[in-house]
Amino acid sequence: MYALVDCNNFFVSCERAFQPQLEGRPVVVLSNNDGCVVARSNESKALGVKMGVPYYQLRESSNGSRVEVRSSNYTLYGDLSRRVMGILREACPELQVYSIDEAFMVLDGMSLDQAKDLCRGLVRKIRRWTGIPVSIGIASSKTLAKIANHFAKKYSGYRGVCVIDTDQKRDKALELTPIDDVWGIGWRSAPKLQKMGVNTALDFVQRPSAWVHKHMGITGVRTWQELQGDDVIEGESHERRQTICTSRSFAETIPDLEELTLRVSDFAGICAHKLRKEHSLAYEVCTFIQTNPFRKDLPQYYPAATTRLEMPSSNTPQIVAAALRALESIYKEGYQYKRAGVIIANIIADDAVQGDIFDTESELREKADKVSVLMDKFNSSGSNMLRIATQRPGHYAEGIRREHCSRLFSTDWNELIEVH
Amino acid sequence: MEESHIQGIPVAQAGIHAGFPSPAQDYMDGIMDLNKELVRHPAATFYGRVVGDSMVNAGVDEGDVLVIDKSLEPQEGDMAVCFIDGEFALKFISFKDPGKGGSNAPKPGVSYNILGCKDLWLLSGNPKYKPIHITEGNDFTVWGIVTYVIKKIK
Repeated sequence: MYALVDCNNFFVSCERAFQPQLEGRPVVVLSNNDGCVVARSNESKALGVKMGVPYYQLRESSNGSRVEVRSSNYTLYGDLSRRVMGILREACPELQVYSIDEAFMVLDGMSLDQAKDLCRGLVRKIRRWTGIPVSIGIASSKTLAKIANHFAKKYSGYRGVCVIDTDQKRDKALELTPIDDVWGIGWRSAPKLQKMGVNTALDFVQRPSAWVHKHMGITGVRTWQELQGDDVIEGESHERRQTICTSRSFAETIPDLEELTLRVSDFAGICAHKLRKEHSLAYEVCTFIQTNPFRKDLPQYYPAATTRLEMPSSNTPQIVAAALRALESIYKEGYQYKRAGVIIANIIADDAVQGDIFDTESELREKADKVSVLMDKFNSSGSNMLRIATQRPGHYAEGIRREHCSRLFSTDWNELIEVH
Repeated sequence: MEESHIQGIPVAQAGIHAGFPSPAQDYMDGIMDLNKELVRHPAATFYGRVVGDSMVNAGVDEGDVLVIDKSLEPQEGDMAVCFIDGEFALKFISFKDPGKGGSNAPKPGVSYNILGCKDLWLLSGNPKYKPIHITEGNDFTVWGIVTYVIKKIK
């Protein structure tokens, strides 16, 4: 049995957590560079504000003055995500974090009543502890849990938790679910299916499996099985490594930052390459440096620091920049460093990111990704022919527009809420 | 990627000793970690900065840092960060009418459901500010309970 926990209108809810005056009002959050709408409160949806609409269009529309606008504040969202996931992990150690605002709990060995009680308690607890409203869908497969979650969100009568536990409930839910809302049915397959008379999830499961196989291949059959309640999607995050580490002891010792910068850049580049090979993205890049513990006559120092990325990444320039930022924060003169390394953590599947409408950001990233792929090609011979010309941190932040950004309420001492 | 924040990881917790055992590890147990002492519920703990003089008689001054625990149920006498009429305010929670003395005083340490409780007063630590009787007309929530006040004196 699975429970899919999904934060309601997550970015908007994060803004509201520290700005309660936004409760009950139409709110939108803009993409990086204030380009377009990437999150909407229910009130904004009711006003007809569409996902992805460019900000200048919204501003000039009749609703423009009524809607509260915020620039995206990924540091804030990342911190609240970490808290929500922490509470979930404490309640259910087998947690598969799917994206910044979604996670599957594996509830094996629990009765349905226990699962319901647990989830109802979690909805209340997460709301109270973090200010974030969540919805939970419970079912025997992940795809059905997604659908249950959708109902939990849509109808307030469920008070945040919807269970699909009988055949009647399942068929009713499938009947009410348009085929293009089904997890695993891509935007390309949906119109094709609709043309063949498959408009709802129920239409889909009523086709024979041979038909599904013929038109949709093996992944289609998997979705078809999942919709019947069979658990066939492997636990993604199980297969994924929890961390990737690249570290070396040096033949000589290294006292200076310049040389360490080069070494750490290489380690970070290798980690990024491994990430891409596994089709993964990471949120955290940790750099550590160590002196030689056997040289008791020399001063000892073993620092480590972690940079948290605002958006998960696998591209070499971003991973390298993050590793170097961590390095700069821990490096001290006066020590003979013998060993260094980079650890990538908080790893997710690269198809779990919802940031596909992050206009300029994704353009930037696409370019960077192309560079990374080229680097992989050149470097596959084993010698690191292509390297990143190491940049100063903050390079990426220049020129990004964020006119409506809220504060770093929970991560910066200088930007706390003010209490009168 | 921009403005990513850097947090130090204590060496003994970082789990990075693929090669050398760290000689520093032996000493980590003895470190008094302020986070552990000041933060009972990490997922629910946030910080706030005091502005103004509403709590001067309670020893809380402008610029102090508040440790705020959102997981706690408000109890009689708690210092709380309240959101009232569009602003965060630092107040003592009381379930008894300050004008009437202590006749209907609740027992200390007993928790009250703030939403179910009709009579609620917000008291400040400065005679300049009158008690506020919360009625349904107020836009009001208890945002979190203050568990520590951090004061910089040098």
